[in-house]
Amino acid sequence: MKIRTLLLGIGLSVGASAYAAEPIKIGIPVGLSGAASVVAPSAVQASELAVEEINSQGGVLGRQLRLEIADDGSGAQGAQRAYDSLVFQRKVDVIVTSQNTAARNAGLPIVNRGRVPLIYTSFYEGRSCSPWMYINAWVPEQQVAPVVDHFMTEYEAKKFFLIGSDYAFGRGMLQYTREYVESKGGSVVGEAYLPMDGSDWTAIISQLRSANPDALITSTAGGAPNVTLTRQLRAAGISIPYGYYALDEGTAKSMGDNAEGIYIVASYLSSLETDANKAFLEAIEKKFGSSAETPNELSVPQYEAIYAYAAAVEKAGSTDSAAVIQALGEVTVEGPRGSVIMNKQRHASLNMYLGRVAADGSVQLVKSFPKVDPGEQCPQFANK
Amino acid sequence: MEALALDILTTAAILFVVSTGLMIILGVMKLINFAHGAFLTTGGYIAYLVGAAGLNPWLAVPAAAVLGFLAGLVIERTIIRPLYHRPLDAILATWGLGIVIGQVFALTFGRGVQFAPSPILGTIDVFGNEYSGYRLAMLAVAIVLAVALSALLSFTRFGLNARAVIANEPLARGLGIDSANVRSITFGLGAGLACAAGALITPLLSVDPNMGLPWLVNSFMLVMISGVSFPSLLVASLLLGGSQVLVSTYISPILGGMTIVVLAALILRLKPKGFSRA
Repeated sequence: MKIRTLLLGIGLSVGASAYAAEPIKIGIPVGLSGAASVVAPSAVQASELAVEEINSQGGVLGRQLRLEIADDGSGAQGAQRAYDSLVFQRKVDVIVTSQNTAARNAGLPIVNRGRVPLIYTSFYEGRSCSPWMYINAWVPEQQVAPVVDHFMTEYEAKKFFLIGSDYAFGRGMLQYTREYVESKGGSVVGEAYLPMDGSDWTAIISQLRSANPDALITSTAGGAPNVTLTRQLRAAGISIPYGYYALDEGTAKSMGDNAEGIYIVASYLSSLETDANKAFLEAIEKKFGSSAETPNELSVPQYEAIYAYAAAVEKAGSTDSAAVIQALGEVTVEGPRGSVIMNKQRHASLNMYLGRVAADGSVQLVKSFPKVDPGEQCPQFANK
Repeated sequence: MEALALDILTTAAILFVVSTGLMIILGVMKLINFAHGAFLTTGGYIAYLVGAAGLNPWLAVPAAAVLGFLAGLVIERTIIRPLYHRPLDAILATWGLGIVIGQVFALTFGRGVQFAPSPILGTIDVFGNEYSGYRLAMLAVAIVLAVALSALLSFTRFGLNARAVIANEPLARGLGIDSANVRSITFGLGAGLACAAGALITPLLSVDPNMGLPWLVNSFMLVMISGVSFPSLLVASLLLGGSQVLVSTYISPILGGMTIVVLAALILRLKPKGFSRA
């Protein structure tokens, strides 16, 4: 009997100490295969770097952080499997993801059922509200104004033409752009969409020509559509001011002189001359060497979101979901993008940068817009 | 109005150039080559490599044609020939081959998009309209190709043999025509044409491992309704490509993307044998 109690006691204490050392699990659903696999490696690297840095300073509440990465196949179906596995089998404490909206929306019900905090780190079309979600990337309210204002003041543009891919982000961004242009006294002389996998822009370019606009703003799906549209515009000799919502630095670089003159708006540019950004770039370079991916608008918010989660757990004193959700809106992260706090109806005010692609494909900073407000996103979370 | 006419003509020209390789293989071998899309992609990557090596972009087209022809000969000998008497399996084999080729490109070059330089930059003035020089060049290429292929079929020994095999293969073999040889050269020719077409369309697009797939669908529809004849393929390209441009311009580019497929289905419903065999 005594021996049994003793054994039980040893067992319990071993169990308890194992429990204390149990790492905090951060789930990363990401498109390792499929369309998003172009950008996925940079997001994974940024996450690994954040976890390594935090662990080397003793972790959070004495516990180490551990990444649990799941492939979502870049789509909604794969996302459901990835979320299911992360939330219910691997029992992660938080999910941090830069998936596209469709994949994330597929995962949200699972997050709600499993009551796991989710930090969304991709720019998107706005107004997604969930009790378990925070967002640290930009929405149309932060993205549209800089480029439209610049075209109106610098080029005296009045007539705008809008081209997009036919999906939630493409249409959402351009609808907001139309409202914004009209509110500023301009007009939209044409708005045209092609399916996401479409590559023949001939008819749209002819429409653009006959509408004779002063400026062009486009919001296509990342990857191939970015490129085909730009090439065909250039081949057709279109040279009006050209703003691109979905163009990232990496794609611009590979497009070379085709992309020259395109304006992009971002909350992060790898050329940012801040100490935090320089340190971050060095750390990525040091950790991954020649296989380092260029940090971008998706990977940097991912890095910052892991720091935000770590800070929220410290503040809450536990990984309890409700307490962490409460704390996430109160912690500030000093990251490569500056200081970010997700206290605007679950979104964040961000420093936005207007850049122009140079002949060699690099992005030159034209103007910066400090602390751009995300506007009315989720009024129901105004005081939480 | 002139711009619309140019859009229609150049769209038809591109469709024609992309479809010829598929049609010639279907005609002679009675085989729908589902690796056609992958061959187009191959041409795209050849154009990318030629550009990356700093060579003249025009070189991409003959390079793709020659490499495609040689690869076609090898593929015919190793994969297609053992399946001559199992036509369904042969079609499946080309489908699988297409997947393998796509994956090889994904593993070699990654899934990201690449670029090939355009041999003609800027626009040309046509009847007072600034129009993309490269699209106009595609129009010229399509005309030259149509003439050259018709001449090949009508005035050469290979063309005569090929037409005999198209008309009645057992009879042609009985007359001493080496039909296996004709098939082999045809597959090489089809693959070469597809690769060259891939290199030709790339300057307007971008290269990625799946770039050929939408073109495979459109060329398949075109070849289905045109039957085996270059003039009727031209007519089909003009009709379907023209409808696509008209629908895109006047109704919606989203519907425009479906026009070719929907129209082809309607035409096949009304004229089950398509244009040439009606």
